Amino acid sequence: MNRISDPKALASYREKLKAAQDPNKTMIHFCAGTGCIACGCEEVADAFKKRIADMGLESSVTLKLTGCPGFCERGPLATVYPQGIFYEKIGVSDVDLILEKTVKHGQVVEKLLYKDPTTGKKIVEEEEIPFYKKQMRLLLGSNGLMDPTCLDDYILLGGYEGMAKALSGMQPEEIVQSVITSGLRGRGGGGFPTGWKWDSCRKAEGKPKYVICNADEGDPGAFMDRAILEGNPHSVIEGMVIGAFAIGSNEGFVYVRHEYPLAVKNLNIALKQARQVGLLGKDILGTGFDFDIEVSRGGGAFVCGESTALMASLEGKIGEPRPKYVHTTDYGLWDKPSNLNNVESWANIPLIIKGGADWYASIGTENSKGTKVFALSGKISNTGLVEVPMGITLREILYDIGGGIPGNKKFKAVQTGGPSGGTLVVETEDEMVHRSMVRSGDVQVDETVKSLLDLPVDFDELTKAGSMMGSGGMIVMDQDSCMVDVAKYFIHFLIEESCGKCLPCREGLRMLHDILERITNGEGREGDVELLQEVSNTLIDTSLCQLGGSAPNPVLSTIRYFRDEYDAHVRDKRCPAGVCNALVGYAINENCIGDGQCVKACPSDAISGDPKGLYRIDQSKCIQCDACYQVCQFDSIVRVGRDEANDVQRRAKERWVPVKERPREKVGV
Amino acid sequence: MATVKIRIDGQQVEAEEGSFLLPAIQEMGVEIPTLCYYKYATPYAACRMCVVEIWDKRKKNKVVTACNYPIAEGLEVLTHSPRVVAARRTNLEMLMSRCAPMPVLQEMGKKLGIEEPRWGWGTDTCILCGLCVRVCDEIVGARALGFASRGADRYVTTAFDGEADSCILCGACASICPTEHIQLEEADGRKIIHDEVTLGPNSAISVPFRQAVPNVPRIDPEYCIHFRTGGCTVCSQVCPKDCIHYDEQEKTEEIEVGTIVLATGFQDLDPEILKPYGYGKIPNVITAMEFERMNNAAGSTGGKIQLQNGAEPRSIAILHCIGSRDERHHPYCSRVCCMYGLKFAHLVKEKTEAEVYQLYIDLRAFGKGYEEFYQRILSEGVNVIRGKGTEVVRAGRGRAEEGDLLVRCEDTLAGVFREIPVDMVILCTALEAHSDAKETGRKFGVSIGADGWFIERHPKLGPVSTATDGVFLAGVCQGPKDIPDTVAQGGAAAAEAMSLMIRGEVEMDAACAVIDEEKCCGCRLCNDLCAYSAITFDEEKEVSVVNEALCKACGTCVAGCPSGSIKGLHFTDPQIYAEIEGILS
Repeated sequence: MNRISDPKALASYREKLKAAQDPNKTMIHFCAGTGCIACGCEEVADAFKKRIADMGLESSVTLKLTGCPGFCERGPLATVYPQGIFYEKIGVSDVDLILEKTVKHGQVVEKLLYKDPTTGKKIVEEEEIPFYKKQMRLLLGSNGLMDPTCLDDYILLGGYEGMAKALSGMQPEEIVQSVITSGLRGRGGGGFPTGWKWDSCRKAEGKPKYVICNADEGDPGAFMDRAILEGNPHSVIEGMVIGAFAIGSNEGFVYVRHEYPLAVKNLNIALKQARQVGLLGKDILGTGFDFDIEVSRGGGAFVCGESTALMASLEGKIGEPRPKYVHTTDYGLWDKPSNLNNVESWANIPLIIKGGADWYASIGTENSKGTKVFALSGKISNTGLVEVPMGITLREILYDIGGGIPGNKKFKAVQTGGPSGGTLVVETEDEMVHRSMVRSGDVQVDETVKSLLDLPVDFDELTKAGSMMGSGGMIVMDQDSCMVDVAKYFIHFLIEESCGKCLPCREGLRMLHDILERITNGEGREGDVELLQEVSNTLIDTSLCQLGGSAPNPVLSTIRYFRDEYDAHVRDKRCPAGVCNALVGYAINENCIGDGQCVKACPSDAISGDPKGLYRIDQSKCIQCDACYQVCQFDSIVRVGRDEANDVQRRAKERWVPVKERPREKVGV
Repeated sequence: MATVKIRIDGQQVEAEEGSFLLPAIQEMGVEIPTLCYYKYATPYAACRMCVVEIWDKRKKNKVVTACNYPIAEGLEVLTHSPRVVAARRTNLEMLMSRCAPMPVLQEMGKKLGIEEPRWGWGTDTCILCGLCVRVCDEIVGARALGFASRGADRYVTTAFDGEADSCILCGACASICPTEHIQLEEADGRKIIHDEVTLGPNSAISVPFRQAVPNVPRIDPEYCIHFRTGGCTVCSQVCPKDCIHYDEQEKTEEIEVGTIVLATGFQDLDPEILKPYGYGKIPNVITAMEFERMNNAAGSTGGKIQLQNGAEPRSIAILHCIGSRDERHHPYCSRVCCMYGLKFAHLVKEKTEAEVYQLYIDLRAFGKGYEEFYQRILSEGVNVIRGKGTEVVRAGRGRAEEGDLLVRCEDTLAGVFREIPVDMVILCTALEAHSDAKETGRKFGVSIGADGWFIERHPKLGPVSTATDGVFLAGVCQGPKDIPDTVAQGGAAAAEAMSLMIRGEVEMDAACAVIDEEKCCGCRLCNDLCAYSAITFDEEKEVSVVNEALCKACGTCVAGCPSGSIKGLHFTDPQIYAEIEGILS
């Protein structure tokens, strides 16, 4: 491909590509994102290629391996164009079926269609699926439409149009003003207005200036940056070129995790392509502007997602944060003015320039504009990436898009913003939660609280509710999650990831973990919760960086909403959710029908009884592994306090009647 | 930078914009605890003890670390608000629960009102302040230390936990460490208390000794980090008078003078050549000079008499005449050892409980009051044994209880052979002439005797003068003598020099050598022939020149000049021929 000499040439090249396209040609867009790779899509893709060749369909069908469209729960996914038929969970054996029926004869393969769990209806088109229906996929939308390693695909979708507009028709100040007007706030977690950051970096003294893309996505359960880098790397490059032009920088870095090999690969391919045709490097699009990007791979330290630690790591030093009393826009990488934004923020830039700041500002709430990608995970039906406009309610995200909780379990809480975020309670009608909130002073005794399910999701509302936007991870928890255990999990993650430089984070997290460990082991003491709060406050006040400063969020927010659960652990030595091994006893109640499933599952031979009779768990042998609880279909295994187990079993013995003698409706599942 | 006004604890102060808050607070006399702060390294802000509560220009309230918070106009600071005091307390308490009870933590705890941490003391002796790492990195420039591991497992170590090749053994890490977590050790695990060879101060910058002239510190380039790595320069930052210049080098200056007093002193005999005494091989065998340093309050042990392992000696032997009165080394008596040996015995008795043995050939207490001092030593219970110490060995297993060393000697009064167990041996080494005394003598036209000492013009009539006019002798360079004798001789030499100087002119003999510049070929033979250093070479004219004040008219040069260009005035050839003719006629 030749060098594109100026913006006009880019436009005409796009026209040429459009003209060359045959709108009636069958295209199979097959997801090759990491989520689908985990589901085995590579084998399926190979099968597609082989079968297309075998059947001699090369001329009539094109197979396109795309990035992640977000619906990871149902992978591997494929969409067949021009009809736009959406197929899910495709196996190797389904390849022939699709090629034979859909490609050759234009028919729909019923068994591969998405079935709406509520209505039971099969849905043919992607947009009609509830998971996609409420989304606004400005960033992720292109993922399913293009091959990330093909520059033509991106250009065809309007790629580099924003860059051409910025470089040829706008002054740097104008671009910065556009970004300010658009109201874009940093998507990495802090939510600092991107435009203002650019402005101060632009005005900072010192040369050279650097622009950096933070692709060190480390939050457990967050993978939106990965999906963008893997599925649409050119959008990030385009955003960075525009940013560099506005700020006055000629050198950029992408700091990406080594754990994202596909992202690194696709990004490097994209960079090479862009350089070849003059969209990057010297004299971009003939405008005389020079800018190039270097990829730097991180070693997988969570703290390197913090801007100053990231810069230290880029400089080749240990990835440790330094205080930010002087901003990195003044003294950043190698003490030069540096502008750092994360992948999602950069990918938003071309949209703002192309669509205009006012259009962008029309999306979202007053202080949070645009869309945000969330990664849904945990106890939710539709795990995956969802992109929604700011201000959408949690209920819409979790129920309409996420499909609610699987297995008829009760919703308990959702953790947003990763380990530094907080746990938001959803079930505010819960009596225990209400009591906890009264104690933390959030509500009055006689006040009924509004369900946080109706909380509009944006930067400020989440912060107000005791959590934060973070990078956009959403971990959903159901009734089987113990909040003390959840807090302990996140603190444990942070202990492993704390760099250990400053005292409060290093020692405080260890202290928090010790106390939580003690509580979950049933050795909690009176005053432990207050101690957690004291240490947490010290961490918030005195930690060097935000990793430490926000580390106690999971602890404080769970205390805020689930104080009673903590007290149950400490005072009653009981884990209401039945998670903390040391506090849980297993017992068989009168529901037992004597099918013996639990006996087979038990690894320690603790369960005994006669078939069709009442079984019994020997408490001295039980190791609280939860295996019996998982297999029993009759709710007859119950998780109770350690010392209550025998009482429950004694009562069961009194009440138990043989299955034959029970009324019919009481036997069913 | 500009000066701005800020308020600290309600008090208005002026400070430099952009400088850090902590020095400004400390300057006010407000005490703020710190663990990781070192004035000469980049603030690290890791211990978070120096946190203060501030309100910035926009009245935004936050908690920041004072050590690295840049001062800006309108800043309001509270150094001891309840919020920061509570945070300091909790942080310190958490650190305590990691660390063993160490003085630095205990003291700080006391100030913050924590006696015992609620979670009990830990065991670690490192507080992870990172001072050693930063000093080694920024100041020394050796970069031998770093942190390993993350989070609570973090620890200070060398690369790959091995021996650091880049370590320059400066000891800066150990000296900066507030908890003594870092110790200097020899490779075999022995603790170093003092450098047993020099016993001098091992700081790279020090005043050599109390009465040094000039009495100012000097830098030892061998130990100074700056001269080894190019880093550090802390001393120049500390010095308020800007007195330290690293680029200042030794230089030679030429001064024109009329008289010279030679007082070059002596050197100590190196006892290592006297193998039987084991100096340099057996620990705790030291020279008298080293004992003198140890005993000095400004010395390396602060005046404490101790063994290498830090213990107090139980017994000490003082061996006289090491290398003196010994035909194999110096046949002469060094004159001072007897009396300082006795003085040592007195000092040891005064400072320790140790038993003292004096091993002598003859005790020469010849001066005024010396005999009385000897009697006093005897009455103090010092064991004075006539018999030269012949050998020092490590005590075998049998006698190690009594002392680590055994000194062997023949007690000539009792007529028995003795083995005395002691912990420390002091060798009274001989005074000897400087090894370069011969060269010095040649330079000043002073002759050297058989023992290497300078020879005076006449033992009785000219005890401080030399064969060269205007050059005088004082002190031990002329022969062993004690301090009173040296002072007396110095006075005499000064008086002789003064008597010349006060006249301002020198009476000269009319007879002297003269060089005919026309004839002199510049061979410089005469320069070396002159016994009085009276002839020098004029580089400009390329001829030799006679200093008439020094010339003794001996005629050696006249006879030796190959070109016949030197004449002896009053003894020219025509004059001598005329005299011969007169006699013969």
